[in-house]
Amino acid sequence: MKRACLTAILTFAVVVSVPSSAGAQVPRTADGHPDLSGVWWPGTDVPLAPLPPQAPTAGAAPTAPSAPRARNPRPRFANLYQPSAVDKAKTLSDKDDPALRCVPVAFGTLNVSLYGLGFVGQIVQTPKFVVLLTETYHSFKLVPTDGRKHRDDVAPSFRGDSVGRWEGDTLVVDTTNFADTNWMHAEGEVSFHSDALHIVERYRRVDKDTLEVDATIEDPKVLTGPWKVPTQTLRLAPFDQIMEVGCTGVESAALMDAAARVNYGKK
Amino acid sequence: MTRTHARSGVVGFSFVLLSLTAPAWAHHSFAAEFDANAPITVRGVITQVRLENPHSWFFLEAADAGGKVEKWSFEASTPTSLIRSGVKPGFIKAGDEVTIRGYHARDPSQNVGAGRELITADGRSFAIGPMVGPAR
Repeated sequence: MKRACLTAILTFAVVVSVPSSAGAQVPRTADGHPDLSGVWWPGTDVPLAPLPPQAPTAGAAPTAPSAPRARNPRPRFANLYQPSAVDKAKTLSDKDDPALRCVPVAFGTLNVSLYGLGFVGQIVQTPKFVVLLTETYHSFKLVPTDGRKHRDDVAPSFRGDSVGRWEGDTLVVDTTNFADTNWMHAEGEVSFHSDALHIVERYRRVDKDTLEVDATIEDPKVLTGPWKVPTQTLRLAPFDQIMEVGCTGVESAALMDAAARVNYGKK
Repeated sequence: MTRTHARSGVVGFSFVLLSLTAPAWAHHSFAAEFDANAPITVRGVITQVRLENPHSWFFLEAADAGGKVEKWSFEASTPTSLIRSGVKPGFIKAGDEVTIRGYHARDPSQNVGAGRELITADGRSFAIGPMVGPAR
């Protein structure tokens, strides 16, 4: 009876403890670091929720005026612009977005540099490098984690030069040496930066399926102070390979006219 | 949508004034090209599907209430997103009857839109473009 009770207690303990520990289990590499490898996304890349009901009504082309669009409430880089940068921003609009000419962003529209312009990225981790692969524009970041310093033999670039280090279970990615010709975000959001841009991201795999990313961004030439980016939560995707999203340059502000002209002889 | 409706080639428009924020369009400015306050629904027959980078396109023909057939085109998400959404190469093809819901071009004279949802003749719904709303 005692044995039966003990068995029952132990069984209960195992049943209770296993799910929580299994849920929190973080894969690790042979060197003991958390293994960040995998495809990471927000949970989906196109929303699957249906649109609200909308009854079709026969009629002609639209003539109704548009209501003003609400401003994007997300905290953004440009919210911290110095007065001179604010003045410069007033001279720019969405049609000046370098992404319209296939220029990659310096950071990312969803505030995760792993995504860049899109919603999906893949991490490949080796003992010497963590490789961040971005599906949109097929770009990458090589993050050496062997203690080396930033390179001093490379030109400024759109995605910058990165080095990484482990602070406990957190991968810290330090990126500098940016060109000043791209924007932080895309989608027409005015977000130019300077060559003093410095991005520090902290990647932490909190459980098997969840990766949290924090970032602190400095740009003393255009910002009034550091931008502490809200924590972004990424989910492990149910597939292990990203694909290619390229840029042809035709999807510009003239896309609408071009599509009509090419396909239908209009305008 | 029913096949009867589809064959009749009805083109429907519905414009609702909404207060919406910027969409999470992949990279170019949605606002520069499309009107988030002008949702539309077009029912017709597919003439061509292009699953191509960086954004896909659906072309269709639909008749207005008077029976006049018009050509429409809808920009959709990346081929990668569509494939993951279930719209794999060859799944939607010329001759298929579909309903596409989305947002009209800012130029109302053009029969062009940003596709958001594609509904097949048998009623299956597929997300083909980003949600117009708060960024995720």
